[in-house]
Amino acid sequence: MKKRKEQKELSSIMTRRMLMVGAGQIILGASLVGRLYQLQISQTDNYRRLSERNQFDKRLIQAPRGRLLDVHDRLLAGNSEVFELRVLPSRVGDLNQWLRRVGKIVGLRPAEMKGILKTIADQPDFLEVTVRTNLTQRELSKLAVLSPVLEGVSFRKGFRRIYPQGWMTAHITGYVSPANKQDVKDNPELRYLPASRIGRSGLERTFEFNLRGAAGVERVEVNAKGKPVRVLRDQQASSGEDIKLSIDVSAQSFAAERLRRGKSKSVPLQNPDVQRALLNNAELRAHVTTGDSLVLQDERGRLVPPESGAATVLDIHTGEVKLLVSVPGYDPNLFSNRLSVQDWRRLNEHPRTPLLNRVTSGLYAPGSTFKMVVLAAALEAGVVSQRTKYDCTGGFEFGDSTFHCWNEKGHRYVDAVAALEQSCDVYFYQIALKTGINRIHNMAQRLGLGLPTGIGFSDEKVGIMPDRDWKMKSRGLAWTPGETVVAGIGQGFVLTTPLQLAVMTARIANRKYAVRPSLQAVTGRQDSIIFPPLDIAPEIIDVLHRGMRAVTNGSRGTARRYDLPQQGMAGKTGTVQVKRITKEQREKGIVDNIDRPWKERDHALFVAFAPYHRPKYAISLVVEHGGSGSSMAAPIARDILDHVLELDEREAV
Amino acid sequence: MSALQLLFRLPWLLLISILVLVLIGALALYSASEGSWSPWAERQLLRAAVGTVLLFLVAFIPTRWLYNWSYLGIVLIVLVLAALPFIGIGVGATRWITLGPFNFQPSEPAKLAVIVALSRYLSSQTPEQMQSILTYFPVLVFITVPFSLILIQPDLGTSFMLLIGGLAVVFVAGLPRRYVLAVILAFLAALPILWSQLYNYQKARILTFLNPDTDQLGTGYQIAQSKIALGSGGFFGKGFLMGSQSQLNYLPEKQTDFVFTMIGEEFGFIGNLAVLFTYFVILVSCLLVALRSRNRFGQLLCTGISVMLFLYVFVNIGMVTGLLPVVGAPLPLISYGGTAMLTVFIGLGLVVNVAIHQHLHDNDLL
Repeated sequence: MKKRKEQKELSSIMTRRMLMVGAGQIILGASLVGRLYQLQISQTDNYRRLSERNQFDKRLIQAPRGRLLDVHDRLLAGNSEVFELRVLPSRVGDLNQWLRRVGKIVGLRPAEMKGILKTIADQPDFLEVTVRTNLTQRELSKLAVLSPVLEGVSFRKGFRRIYPQGWMTAHITGYVSPANKQDVKDNPELRYLPASRIGRSGLERTFEFNLRGAAGVERVEVNAKGKPVRVLRDQQASSGEDIKLSIDVSAQSFAAERLRRGKSKSVPLQNPDVQRALLNNAELRAHVTTGDSLVLQDERGRLVPPESGAATVLDIHTGEVKLLVSVPGYDPNLFSNRLSVQDWRRLNEHPRTPLLNRVTSGLYAPGSTFKMVVLAAALEAGVVSQRTKYDCTGGFEFGDSTFHCWNEKGHRYVDAVAALEQSCDVYFYQIALKTGINRIHNMAQRLGLGLPTGIGFSDEKVGIMPDRDWKMKSRGLAWTPGETVVAGIGQGFVLTTPLQLAVMTARIANRKYAVRPSLQAVTGRQDSIIFPPLDIAPEIIDVLHRGMRAVTNGSRGTARRYDLPQQGMAGKTGTVQVKRITKEQREKGIVDNIDRPWKERDHALFVAFAPYHRPKYAISLVVEHGGSGSSMAAPIARDILDHVLELDEREAV
Repeated sequence: MSALQLLFRLPWLLLISILVLVLIGALALYSASEGSWSPWAERQLLRAAVGTVLLFLVAFIPTRWLYNWSYLGIVLIVLVLAALPFIGIGVGATRWITLGPFNFQPSEPAKLAVIVALSRYLSSQTPEQMQSILTYFPVLVFITVPFSLILIQPDLGTSFMLLIGGLAVVFVAGLPRRYVLAVILAFLAALPILWSQLYNYQKARILTFLNPDTDQLGTGYQIAQSKIALGSGGFFGKGFLMGSQSQLNYLPEKQTDFVFTMIGEEFGFIGNLAVLFTYFVILVSCLLVALRSRNRFGQLLCTGISVMLFLYVFVNIGMVTGLLPVVGAPLPLISYGGTAMLTVFIGLGLVVNVAIHQHLHDNDLL
């Protein structure tokens, strides 16, 4: 009986415990359901994002940079496809070892490896880093064979910026270089585009935002080993805008070569004399090592580098810049990848500053080319009439000093037109004094001097167009009449850029409108461009035109030998002293330019427009230390204008 | 017993659930090999077929025979486990022996053998004897010998599942309450000693579990990726063959221990719930068979097997969801792997056997 009872008791204990086990299983099982709810429902968004990040490498695709084209669609700046080797640091175990291995194949220098390691250290490791651009076919195939064992490696088609015209258009195009830290800070998107190039100067910089384009987005599905499985393109890269320029490459290259040659003849580089000269003459060597093969022989038989200077031609109706030459130039292709230290040093130590865009940033006293401004101001002020004559005896006594005319013998009686024709300094001393600096300043500004031209280069200089206030503000001194006298012949404080002089000439040639220069081709109807009125009386402009015409056409014109025979040209020479002539030197007799050291020679300037009766182009030309405006600058300018007009004629046919 | 009676007594719900899980498993393995029946799904189905045959063989053996030969299993298994260091294979841990073309993991059937032996032993004890401490010395031997042999392989997960499964049988058999408390206290006291005996990688796994962020690329990586896969599956999942974590191999061991994660990524919360529900049906069926059985042997056997199955499921899902440390535990009937699957089939065969013979009393077995 007891036994049965015990058995029954045990049986009920067992049943209870079986149920307890079942209950325990259900409770623990429910905790699993709760956990799944937590993962798959509450936090699913978070895990979905993590999964997405696992699955896809989001990449931005470089957009090809917009091209710069000349007026006939010739390429000034374009892109060539290159293969790049990149690495995704997060997928590489030992970066040092990886680099050594790859470095052996693509020939990385220790400094480059250091640079790459630094770049990697500076950014999050899920961003690709460019190890090497411009892979050769050989390197490409060697790397491709190794790629299964090289983790994190990828090849990308990239673009290299190319400038087919090289130095010839360097100052127009400017150059690009890889994005630096500051760029990335300003535009964080750049960090995802390791191959980005940023415009640093010239139009590359001006039109940076138009040229850059919009990067495409692609998601690359990668497996756990980082191998791409497939590519989803979310957004195509849209290439930057092509920009059509008003520049004509043929005119540009003609002008550049003509300006460089000056009055000298070229000597082949292989000439033993040249080779010898290269050993002794550091300046010549600087030219040749920057890749310039032109060596000249001057009138004295000396071997010299090509002339340096600036030339620009504007369409006087539209303001379009037909050519813009600054020599010496540099090869902008050098900057497209990382510029080598050696090249950088060569460019910086070059005695003639090839990086300077002389047309827009070179500052020169305008010299006699300023005389139109003074004359116009005087005529407008009514202090002289076009018939008023002054007697030039070769000098002008004012206060304690004598202001000399360039012609020591004097021009005798000259009126306005004759004064321009012969560039009589005394005449302009007189009328400047009568007109006063503020009126001259006013007229100069209306003709575009002392103000930005708006061509769009960030490094454009405005020069100096002095007036009383300027002197007070910048020097804290009152303006003196003597300074007005000097300003009358475009020297003293006055500083202009060649482009400003071209604008001045274009406005005079245009008669009606205050033309502004533009490097972009004007498409569509030309009368859609509206410039503000110039507001100078036609009679005054007539006098300027006649005077400038006489310069090339008159019997005593300073450039009478360099007229354009058919269309006729009106111009003005300028010879700018860069070193003050002392009294003793004047008494001993002034040394000829050609016999002075290059740096002490006068700048040769010339401005002109043509054809005379139906003006179309205005030119401004500076030959640095070229000697005289008459014999050096005028013939070059004449040849360039002739060539430009001839190109026009050829096109019209 | 007429054929009709037999059909009526078969636990149909249990059998259908088994079929459902086998099919889910085959689909999961098909997906794990990126949409291919080979190498896993077809072999798994073949094993399931073999398993089904075994299940029914076991089911129709007279229960008395089973009862009489109960100790044979544990004796054989202990011999094999003891010989394993000399004849076994394995990387890092010696867990496998080779039988012709098959690799065989004796620790899996060991769990079952311990449950069978304990059920046999305890069901033959009188209620009086159940109160005596002396009764439990053989129990201690039945559990600790295979437990220790598996622990030193080393296979922490399996040895503990064996331990807990065995203790569950002892508990249900009517271990006096004072001894239950004593066992719990002894277990807690043994923990630090056990910890000091663990291998470094075992410690690392547990530490990683306690602080998962410390090891994102080792054990922590597996769990992190598993959680990402499960979580990103969401409510409905990414679709069959569309699980990016699994298909792109971010998920480790997706055909074995992490198969549940893969189901979760592709079929979502709903899919996981369906799997869990099917297990729930199986476990409840086992317990119902236990409750209906008139003999203690059947009751203990079914409860023990239910606990064994539950432990498989709980440890596996707990592991892949990051609730438990990483211990290699397969998901029964779904994970690719022969020994565990056949063990489960045999275990379930025993349950069916008990179900068919539920009318037998304790005395009928003697």
